Amino acid sequence: MAMIKIENLNMHYQTDEGSVHAVRGVNFNIAEGEFFTLLGPSGCGKTTTLRALAGLERPTGGTISIDGKTMFSEDRRINVPAHRRDIGMVFQSYAIWPHMDVFENVAFPLREMRGRMSKSALREKVLGALSLVQLDGYEDRPAPFLSGGQQQRLALARALVKEPKVLLLDEPLSNLDAKLREEMRDELSDLVKRLGITTVYVTHDQLEALTMSDVVAVMSEGEVMQESTPFDIYEAPANRFVAGFIGTTNFLDGRIEAAVNGHVTVSTSCGAMTCVPPDGAGPGDTVTVIVRPEDVHLAANGGNGSESGENILSGEVAEVMFLGEALECQVVIGDTRMRLKLHPSTRIAAGEKIDLAIPVDRCLVLPE
Amino acid sequence: MVTRTFDLPIINIDRRTLNPWHVLIFFVVAVLVAVPLTVLILGSFSNAKMPTDFSLATLTFDNYPEVWLDPGTFNILYNTVVYVVGATCVGVSFAAILAWLVERTTIPGKIWIYAGVPLALAVPGLLQAMAWVILASPRSGFINKFGTDVLGFDGPIINIYTLGGMIFVEGLRLVPTAFLMLVPLLRSMDPALEEAAYTSGGRPLSTARKITLMLMAPGFVAVTIYQAIIALEVFEVPGVLGMPADIHVFSTRVYMLVAEAEFLPTYGQANALAMLYLGVAVVASYFYWRLIRRSERFTVVTGKGYRPKLNELGNWHYPAIGFVLLFMFLAIILPFLVLLYTSLVKVLQPPSAEVFATMSFKWYSWVFDYGRFGSTLSNTFKMVFATASIVTVLSFLISLVVVRSKFVARRALDQMSFMPHAIPGVVMGLAFLWVFLQYDKVTGSEIFGSIWSIVVVFVVAFIAYGTRTMNAAILQIHKDLEEASSVSGAPPWRTLWRIFVPLMMPSLVGIWVYVVLLSVRLAGAPLILYEGRRTEVLAVLLWYLWDDGEWEAVAAMGVMMMLGLFALVLLLRGLGFGKSMAQAR
Repeated sequence: MAMIKIENLNMHYQTDEGSVHAVRGVNFNIAEGEFFTLLGPSGCGKTTTLRALAGLERPTGGTISIDGKTMFSEDRRINVPAHRRDIGMVFQSYAIWPHMDVFENVAFPLREMRGRMSKSALREKVLGALSLVQLDGYEDRPAPFLSGGQQQRLALARALVKEPKVLLLDEPLSNLDAKLREEMRDELSDLVKRLGITTVYVTHDQLEALTMSDVVAVMSEGEVMQESTPFDIYEAPANRFVAGFIGTTNFLDGRIEAAVNGHVTVSTSCGAMTCVPPDGAGPGDTVTVIVRPEDVHLAANGGNGSESGENILSGEVAEVMFLGEALECQVVIGDTRMRLKLHPSTRIAAGEKIDLAIPVDRCLVLPE
Repeated sequence: MVTRTFDLPIINIDRRTLNPWHVLIFFVVAVLVAVPLTVLILGSFSNAKMPTDFSLATLTFDNYPEVWLDPGTFNILYNTVVYVVGATCVGVSFAAILAWLVERTTIPGKIWIYAGVPLALAVPGLLQAMAWVILASPRSGFINKFGTDVLGFDGPIINIYTLGGMIFVEGLRLVPTAFLMLVPLLRSMDPALEEAAYTSGGRPLSTARKITLMLMAPGFVAVTIYQAIIALEVFEVPGVLGMPADIHVFSTRVYMLVAEAEFLPTYGQANALAMLYLGVAVVASYFYWRLIRRSERFTVVTGKGYRPKLNELGNWHYPAIGFVLLFMFLAIILPFLVLLYTSLVKVLQPPSAEVFATMSFKWYSWVFDYGRFGSTLSNTFKMVFATASIVTVLSFLISLVVVRSKFVARRALDQMSFMPHAIPGVVMGLAFLWVFLQYDKVTGSEIFGSIWSIVVVFVVAFIAYGTRTMNAAILQIHKDLEEASSVSGAPPWRTLWRIFVPLMMPSLVGIWVYVVLLSVRLAGAPLILYEGRRTEVLAVLLWYLWDDGEWEAVAAMGVMMMLGLFALVLLLRGLGFGKSMAQAR
């Protein structure tokens, strides 16, 4: 059963420049215990969607339900305020209350719950939450005296302490430095999975999205571009936006010439290529062929006697950049530049003429 | 976890249906600001002898030609312009030099200057002016007595009952607020902007002219206009120094028309003159408002704490320190000492060995035995506490709506609460005089003649200051802190109580104390609304005793009042409130 159900969510803003349609008819079904990520560039509506789910923004249309209970419905004029929704939330700025110590920050959600909780039960819960995020022994510390990473943990403890049905995370790692971010990323996804809490995570960082999530929804300009597992998002992007936003991609414009043996032949600016056939496009249609840089390698024997199942393209090396873990090259084929990622031990130099091999099943075709 | 049912009424709030609390606050502010202005305008077109006689049948245009075409009015306009321009020049130049000395030079003892200059806030205009009368009135002033008796001059050396005297005293009075506004302006200037000019080949002088001055110009002009508005609106200094010599400015003339109305009711004419006065103040405020809006684009604030290069004073140290000490002496020490001396002598006379030998606390016991003192003191406490508390709470609520809500009319609410800033105290008093008299007549209540009349006027007068300061304070509280409380399950009023109030405490207390400081020393509006013992506050009592020639008693009260105010200013400083004091009048 879906823990979170969002149907046809719409959100308009009035700004000085006029009305902005920030979220446009978005639908989600998030299963219980799922780690669900909203990924997209800034201004794509991901944070707005999260805030609507939290009850911090009032949508202009649609319905939202959590655990089968309607939280918002435009038609039925229902809008449960944030403090009555069964959620915990971590803010990008952490929003640690500076006038309270660590203990009081975490105790706050418990103290606001209906019905009195005994002092010892409260203390037990708070300390439990703190130990969950490895902040044991910090409870008497004034909140402003914590480092960035500790504030992050504190914010997480506060969000989890009342054991909400849903945990909402708004770019929680973006204020940490690179090393700490990596650590917290692993810790966060471990913790959330261990607790089995339904989590909605907002980020613009594709690495975070791919590593932590069960399901990723890529958003752009208020619409969902693709909703899928991290693997499919990367391996089978549904459209040009997703392919371009996740990882680096070469886009080759072309036209389907023929369908043969379960493959299609596409004429591109780099010549004819055999590709995986697309859904909903046939011979004569203009399409885009996408090739990931790491799927391209140097053809054996200078292109002669290559195995079948590979496209062979000839070009001239324009630029070589040594990155340590890889060699990033740009090769000019006809009037197209193709980026490729080679093993760092490869020895090539700018100006060299080379043949490239791309496995046929790594050449995806996107209909226009 | 129990999930609450969702058919509770509060849940069905649509953003497009208004929050009743927002509407209530808007309505309260609208009534407080719009009603007195409307009544003032209507009254100016009425030939009713008393506000209570007002009816639509009494409407006429006669007041305007009568007042505006009176040659006396041109005289008043002239006096006002000379006095305002003069006082502003004196005040802002003093303040600019002081601010430049502490911010951009190597003058020693800076911490004493930062602490000392704002202390001048504790010297009310009324007492400042009175002290200078004791020193420099033409016949009996100590300086002039010394001139004629000892130095052998034929006539008075200086006469404080002149436009020059008013300019000097009001100029001194403007210095602390101007200083508090100029210091952050100088400090916020990012030295990198100057350094960028140097590295682009700019010579020091042309950099100072093309970069430094241009960047500071809008802020400096804004401070100047702000100070001019204060000088224009003040009543106490022209009241003490100008009125005895028949030198009238707008504030004193409007007061005179109202005060004389007991014998010859001319409220309509007072209103017509007040309209002209208000017009001048509104135009000045409009330019101020335009400038501060524009100056936001000139923002030179950076968070980096790099101090600009300080100018070496070298041999100029001594004149610079001398200048600072001169200001402190003229603005704070001298008036205090003069009042202290006056309060201790038997009969006011210039200092001599004989006088010092016979000093006593006689006048202090006189004050405490004086029947009106007790009731006045309790009136003043009531008025001041009520005003400060209402202003603090009301500004907090207004600012919450303005800064945090999506209320449709929040902009209008903001502008409306800033409007009283442009209304001189005397005009405000006059406008509310009409309102109270009409209201009492209709409802049979007795607001006029009670201390609440003054509270209402002061609340409206200080709401502009309160909301400005509060807006800035609320903006500093990250919205996430509040939303984190909502998602933690706290309903709005709990968020207000557990998150906002504790975080805002320094600002709330600071505004409260500062409003106490302001409302205890103003005499203009309370004099207009004066209606017997129950409305007598300290400033009014000082005014009437001074009029009756009881200068020694005034001095004794003044000394005690100033000691109290010094304590308040120090308390404010302790709260780190210097910056927001700068925004007040």
